[in-house]
Amino acid sequence: MNISITAGRGLRRWRWLSLGVAMTVALTACGTESGSGGGSGAKKITFWLSTSAQLQGYNELAKEFEAKEGVKVEIVNVPYDGYQDKLRQSAQANSLPDVASVPQLDPIWINQLQDLSATANNDTNKIRKDLVTEQDGKVLAIPSDLTAAGLFINKSLFDKAKVSYPTDPAKAWTWDEFLAAATKVRTATGAKYDLVYDNSPARIRAFIYTHGGKGFQLGPDGKYAAPDAATVQALNDFKALNDDKVMPKSVWTSGADPNALFKSGQVVAYYSGVWQVADFAESITNFEWASAPTPAQPVHATDINLGGKVIAFNNGDAAAPAKKWVDFIFQRDNYTKLAAANGYLPVESGLTVTYPFKKQAALDAFALYTKEIELADPISSSGQAAQTTLILDGKAIQKDPTKDEMAKFINGEQDVQKTVDNIVNGLNEQLN
Amino acid sequence: MVDSIHPPAEAPGIDVRRGPEPVRPRQRGWRPRRRNRYVGAPLVLISINLLLFVTFFVWPAITGLVYSFTSYTGVGTAPYVGLDNYQRLLQDESFYAALIRTLIFTAGAVPLTVLLSLGTAVLLVTPYTKGKSLARVIFFLPWLISPIIAGVIWRWMFGENFGLVNYLIISLGGKEVPWQSDANLSLFVVIIAAAWGGTAFNMLLFVAALKNVPTAYYEAASLDGAGSWDKFRNITLPAIAPTTFIVVLLSILHSMKEYALIQAVNAGGPGTANNLLVQYIYTKGFERAQIGYASAASFVLMLILMVVAVVQLGMNRRKES
Amino acid sequence: MALTTSTPRPPVLRRRKRPDAPGELSKKVWATAVMWLLVVVYGFPVLWFLLSSFKPAGELFSYPLTFLPEQPTIKGFTEAWTRFDVARYFLNTLVVALSATALTIVASAACGYALAKYRSWWLKAFTLCILATTMLPGEVLLSPLFLVVRDLGLYNSLSAVVVPAVITATGTFMFRQFFLTVPDDLLEAARIDGSGELSTFLRIMLPLSRPIMLTLAIFSFQWRWNDYIWPLVVLNDPNKFTLQIGVATIVGAENVNWSVLLGASVLSMIPLVAIYLLFQKYVMNADINAGLKD
Repeated sequence: MNISITAGRGLRRWRWLSLGVAMTVALTACGTESGSGGGSGAKKITFWLSTSAQLQGYNELAKEFEAKEGVKVEIVNVPYDGYQDKLRQSAQANSLPDVASVPQLDPIWINQLQDLSATANNDTNKIRKDLVTEQDGKVLAIPSDLTAAGLFINKSLFDKAKVSYPTDPAKAWTWDEFLAAATKVRTATGAKYDLVYDNSPARIRAFIYTHGGKGFQLGPDGKYAAPDAATVQALNDFKALNDDKVMPKSVWTSGADPNALFKSGQVVAYYSGVWQVADFAESITNFEWASAPTPAQPVHATDINLGGKVIAFNNGDAAAPAKKWVDFIFQRDNYTKLAAANGYLPVESGLTVTYPFKKQAALDAFALYTKEIELADPISSSGQAAQTTLILDGKAIQKDPTKDEMAKFINGEQDVQKTVDNIVNGLNEQLN
Repeated sequence: MVDSIHPPAEAPGIDVRRGPEPVRPRQRGWRPRRRNRYVGAPLVLISINLLLFVTFFVWPAITGLVYSFTSYTGVGTAPYVGLDNYQRLLQDESFYAALIRTLIFTAGAVPLTVLLSLGTAVLLVTPYTKGKSLARVIFFLPWLISPIIAGVIWRWMFGENFGLVNYLIISLGGKEVPWQSDANLSLFVVIIAAAWGGTAFNMLLFVAALKNVPTAYYEAASLDGAGSWDKFRNITLPAIAPTTFIVVLLSILHSMKEYALIQAVNAGGPGTANNLLVQYIYTKGFERAQIGYASAASFVLMLILMVVAVVQLGMNRRKES
Repeated sequence: MALTTSTPRPPVLRRRKRPDAPGELSKKVWATAVMWLLVVVYGFPVLWFLLSSFKPAGELFSYPLTFLPEQPTIKGFTEAWTRFDVARYFLNTLVVALSATALTIVASAACGYALAKYRSWWLKAFTLCILATTMLPGEVLLSPLFLVVRDLGLYNSLSAVVVPAVITATGTFMFRQFFLTVPDDLLEAARIDGSGELSTFLRIMLPLSRPIMLTLAIFSFQWRWNDYIWPLVVLNDPNKFTLQIGVATIVGAENVNWSVLLGASVLSMIPLVAIYLLFQKYVMNADINAGLKD
């Protein structure tokens, strides 16, 4: 063999690599012609949100807004996983959007927000004042919608076992009554579990509140304080439910998906929240389901949270149209349409929303949630209120340790006292 | 040529393994000195990677290293706290628990993955098998499946509540196996899932190496009447040793950093029983905005991995010379 | 100096196996049986995944378990297809994956060759440095790396996704380990012939490593294709988003639309399988030994 033959072959083979390099050059050229984010001429603004389903309503509003104001709204659906990171990094690159609906405010960019008080305080809008984020008389964020935790039942199983269930939140059952009924249904129908319960700090808050506990609250010193005895007792009770009969252990200890377990049709009830309604309406076909009032033992409570917080950034000449867009969203007629299209529980009081669901169970569910929110003990929204307080103080809870600590507790790695201590410490650790 | 004594350079044949080579001492004497003359060429050759390494690794890593000596939370200032983060880390029992669990996971997943990927690669290359074109795709597909989907797949199979395996066990009159709430079984499932997902990558490395073994060796060996196993052991294995080395090294480094898959399959559960090192770094660090602490833990992880790599490179060098 | 390192092989034996030899048939049966057993084991979860993507949402988690979709539907696929600007995202991802792959191969081949064929303390040190790049969890570097990319003026351009990804320990080591197996005699012979170091690399060594190039191309293509968090953070303009960013919007904070996610995942795997089949064919057919080592 001699080298020159190899060399000839080599040059031929080399060619496709040089093609790649040429591509790269083209690519770099591509990169440099990038347009700037928003501001130019302010005939166009950007609106970021993160949703797996609720885009429709905004798309329609944006069209109307463009027709009316001559400003195009570019809607960007950012994945939930990484949204927070992306906002942070965008702030560092001076490329924040003009308007956004975010899960949480962030001290990194909170000083770049515009005052939305004109919209929030406009009396015709009737936006619930207790839910807006306000600092020094400036409104920084208006929630796009409410969410509430709540109970779902497998109606087919209940019917089959001929066990009745309440439909009016005012006549809600206690946890004991509910669990007794669920056990009866399970044994009568041969189902596998009474209940699955979302593995989430917000949902466990509802469990604590309904058992008369106050949960983990901020003390006067701005730190989380040790919880009351009822809270500790409620956590103990909750652990006892994870016995692989009432509830499968796998959800709270090893990340099994309760939504999937409920959809199997083998679980009598599922404690989750209003966001499941649209999903269930579409993807439960092998049994009938219904929303049922959250058990009260004895407190009527849920966990009220905010679906998204609408904010406007102060981006040069896009600032004014950005504010206009926010105002447009919350104008009563527009917001009614938005809430219907997106399946939102409204933040404006006294609104009659006609949801476009075909399934009666879904319509009933929304009616029930609306009643539940009116009836709920004020403590129900304290979780999100605490978050807002902290953010305005320049602090933030990135990760609620409740989930991890409860997993250890239920798995028998630590006792309840240690669990409670770890949660309090874990929360306070993030407040430095 | 300490670094590159390899079978292709040796005479073929089954009984010529690492026999004494008379030329070796002479080579040792002059080659390294000769090689040292070349500075410009290797420098040019590594220049792209060198530039990228400094820009996109060293520069950010130094920032991270600086954070590890502070109590930075991602917002505002980063107060200097000296070695405090490192001290806290080394006093934390759950760090050691995570380290031990990581080592167990690695000890289970790496040999399994390497064996399976070598096995599948051999089967795809050998002339003895039929139907390779389909098999090739099937072995490859698991590697493309994202962790979140892999999580669903494996929970569907090994879910203890409504999983397929338990369904079959019960149908056969057995008792439900706690695939998720028993720590060891849960780890076992993740090891299987990791081997399933990681095979294709290593398999492709092995396929390229196997195709590179000169066919002449096998033919010569066949003439000498060697059996398949002899050929595999005495020709194939030595010939692909450099690839085996890199497969093992990369698999170890990868396994020690496993995160996404275990998160998707059992979230490090039950409880925190199967929290591996990177999970530990996330839950104790980043997710609680303890950037300083997380950085410190990351650099300790890096140190551990560096020791692993140096030991392996050293052992490999000794074996080769 | 002779480039040959092996004894001359009997040329007739190359093609002709002895099909009638007594052990051959049973070997074939065994090897094929084992391979198909493995195919079943590996393929079963994949098959469930593929079949599930044709199930309507209501069937996905129903119990008792079903394997075949009872009412097959392609709704998951069509919904995935209309969720976001698939064509544009696809094109962006393609540009990223192709250019990153080409650059990765060039950088890795050159570096791997240098690490294999030259000896000095700084090359040894750099070998470890290359490995070090795999040793930190991504999150540690995310934020500092972002600042670097921003300061270099790459923010919001596809090159911000490509350039930092070019250096890879896997790729570099694949070439290093390969070039270790190439006899040094070849290099020496080229030197005696008066070939310069770099031209030896380009003309002789690089062509030899074609199977490695193709294998790395498959890897690199898959890595870039499935990249998610980094493109999300460095790309601001939705016209530059990549495929996985679109796919990730299907996974919400509280809900995952599984049937759409399964559909989208299957769709986004198709190009990868195509690339694999194309390149792998060349790796399999690479009859590099024939030309070189005899």
